[in-house]
Amino acid sequence: MTTTRRGLLQFLGGSAVGALFTPAPWRLITDTALWSENWPGIPRPARGEARYKFTNCSLCDAGCAVRARCIGDQPVSLAGVGGGLCPFGLTAHHLPFHPARLKEGPVKEAAAAVTSAIANRGPTEHVAVLDLRPGRTASWMYRQAMASIPNGTYLAPPEPLVAVDLQKARTVLSLGAPLLDGWGTPSKVFAARDQFRLIQAEAVESRTAALADVWLPVAPGTEGALASAVTGEVDAADAARITGLSAEQVERLLNELKENGPALVVDSEMSPAVVDANVRLGGWGHTIGPRPQAPTPDAWNKAAPVADLDKVPNGSIRVLLIDESAAGAYLPWAPIEKKLAANALVVAVAPYDGGYARHAQYVLPAAIYPETMDDIPPAVDSMAATFRLAAPLVAAPAGMASVRELLGISDGLRERADAIHKVGQGLLVTYADGKSVAVKDLKADDFWKALNAGGAWTGDTKLPAERRRDEARRGREESLRHVDPEYPFTVVTERRVAGLCSPALSQIYQESNLRLAPNRIALHPSDASRCGVADGARALIETASGKREVIVTVDSSIRSGVVLAPGREDVAFTSAKVVRI
Amino acid sequence: MSPKRYGMSIDVDRCNGCGACMVACAVENNIPPAHAGVNERKGTTWIRVYKVDNGEDYAGKRSAFVPVLCQHCGEHTPCASVCPQQAVDVDPRTGIVGQMPERCLGCRYCMAACPYHARYFNWFDPAWPAGMEKTLNPDVAPRMRGVVEKCNFCHGRWHAAKERAAAAGLDDIQPGDYIPACVEACPTGALRFGDLNDSATAVAQDAKRPESFRLLEKIGTDPKIYYRSRKDWVRQIASAPKNKESFHG
Repeated sequence: MTTTRRGLLQFLGGSAVGALFTPAPWRLITDTALWSENWPGIPRPARGEARYKFTNCSLCDAGCAVRARCIGDQPVSLAGVGGGLCPFGLTAHHLPFHPARLKEGPVKEAAAAVTSAIANRGPTEHVAVLDLRPGRTASWMYRQAMASIPNGTYLAPPEPLVAVDLQKARTVLSLGAPLLDGWGTPSKVFAARDQFRLIQAEAVESRTAALADVWLPVAPGTEGALASAVTGEVDAADAARITGLSAEQVERLLNELKENGPALVVDSEMSPAVVDANVRLGGWGHTIGPRPQAPTPDAWNKAAPVADLDKVPNGSIRVLLIDESAAGAYLPWAPIEKKLAANALVVAVAPYDGGYARHAQYVLPAAIYPETMDDIPPAVDSMAATFRLAAPLVAAPAGMASVRELLGISDGLRERADAIHKVGQGLLVTYADGKSVAVKDLKADDFWKALNAGGAWTGDTKLPAERRRDEARRGREESLRHVDPEYPFTVVTERRVAGLCSPALSQIYQESNLRLAPNRIALHPSDASRCGVADGARALIETASGKREVIVTVDSSIRSGVVLAPGREDVAFTSAKVVRI
Repeated sequence: MSPKRYGMSIDVDRCNGCGACMVACAVENNIPPAHAGVNERKGTTWIRVYKVDNGEDYAGKRSAFVPVLCQHCGEHTPCASVCPQQAVDVDPRTGIVGQMPERCLGCRYCMAACPYHARYFNWFDPAWPAGMEKTLNPDVAPRMRGVVEKCNFCHGRWHAAKERAAAAGLDDIQPGDYIPACVEACPTGALRFGDLNDSATAVAQDAKRPESFRLLEKIGTDPKIYYRSRKDWVRQIASAPKNKESFHG
């Protein structure tokens, strides 16, 4: 047999065709894919034994119990204890790595400047601390520090003065409160949800409105008129005229609150008008009561009260220290700015350079949850006093600053825990084993250790029979507003956790439009058409205070004449216009 | 070990659309934050909550939130039957439809075949902000660019539960010991998970409730995700979306 050139080519061709019918090429493809899976650009997760740590989330006042799964000392996932967590809480272990996080700042220089400014200020000049998260133990320490300094002033956004018990309510009227979307403690709210009928009065069909038994689509900012109708300050016809509802709807609402009790009325900040409505409905001491506080050491009695910003003389604040380390409500800057002296020193201690940082001479980096040691103010839906530590899950990086250090004061947490232990009432729940222990059966050191290892102290619930009427009235604008043709829209805000959010929240802000991203607004289709903008178009939203570029979402669950924007409550119900770019 | 048929029940009337399930899924399964140019078409959301509505305008409008994930079809699993690489398999022990990214060619036939749009193509190399890769879950390997991925009921958790059961000398995973991240994270309790073959589980009981339904049930894929709602218009949307506006994400 001779080997010809034709025969050789036939053999090679046949082999090539035949190989296609063997597993070889598929194996090659698989191996290529396997190789590409492990190429150097793809991160490799750290491996090791998983351990669990427990703490409380300090991103909002709900203070949910958290179980952190850690590899080494690094949390790799967070989960709730006895309930879920919100998306912000679930991703809090990403916050220390946020690209926008401040990592360094002129800490020593700022501390020297603060010391010098406090020492050399004039006799009428003030030193002020602005605390975005009042009600914490740190807040008590600031108040004490301000009480010990001449002209010391403690500034903070208003706190709810009352707490509610949803478990006891059969009908709940929510006046624009995001009751089912982060208003109280999610696990408690949803545990009680099947027990009450929810009526949501709100200008947009929010998440809470979507799940409510009844949604009352009222004119923006007029929800308070319904509280006034409950107290009898306005009659049903007036409330209907103000809110844009029909008189029958208001009558039906009032009847339901009376007949299907116990009834509870809530709004975002539990304003005095809402408290009055609950008193009228007979809920005081039952579904609503004063917001309880955990015991404090006797020595803390000399604490400065929360100053009324209006009563601080203009141009009087020489030193303003701003604590933005704990997420909280922002006060508008314009009224604060009026109170600053011409040579005022403003120092912001913040985890990132948003917020008040642009108004400050010094911006110092702050540790952030889950690096910080802090406690969490009682939630609005807790009728019992609580004390919960957000014990750090990871160590804070070097070079972080705090307002406490600038003022030379301690965190006060151990003293507070000892004061609670001394009173000896209430229960300690430890998350690791889910057990409850009476505080009186514990030693002070064990109590403190248990709180640090993930636990919560809950005091006994004591409800007073009568309401203290020592809070000032603080009503909302309840009449139909005059529409300025220059700014034809009313801004309604969608609440979100202030401060940094994990990059993983692109899942809900970018990869789906489940929630309004910070750079988005939502408009009714007719308004969008009038403004000449389509879904996804870029536009400018302008108010008397300023303007910013946004992306428009067209959504027919928004009332015509309303712009839904994510963010701060201080811009709620301002007038705005939307301009196509 | 008796064969399982893991499934989920979703109470649409309880879902508030917070997105905790989506975020928990991303954290558990090492899904990276989106690149700057990514939008909802190129996003990777193994579970995605859609906002649906009844088609009315403002005051008459009623919305609901419907989490949609891989439905883990039990019959004629469309993605498995079209995959040229056998990168999709249905585990007979669990009923879980799995995806093997190392076998995937990225042809996206499975995406075209999936009637639920629950599969996602990896358009980008996985990347996390500096330092954040320390927070990755060691039980799940990040996937490379160019492959399709989808929900696998947190298969890493199933393996871990199996190991725990073996360590305890048990033949089988204890009910409640294996729960996907989305179910664990849900703050409203809208999601439940369990063995549909076990009539004692809440999910099996939910599946038999009169208000229970499955997405596109008429196409006969036998999905293992059971939704329930007392609202007629929600059930109608599950079979046939009326128009784009009534089914947008």
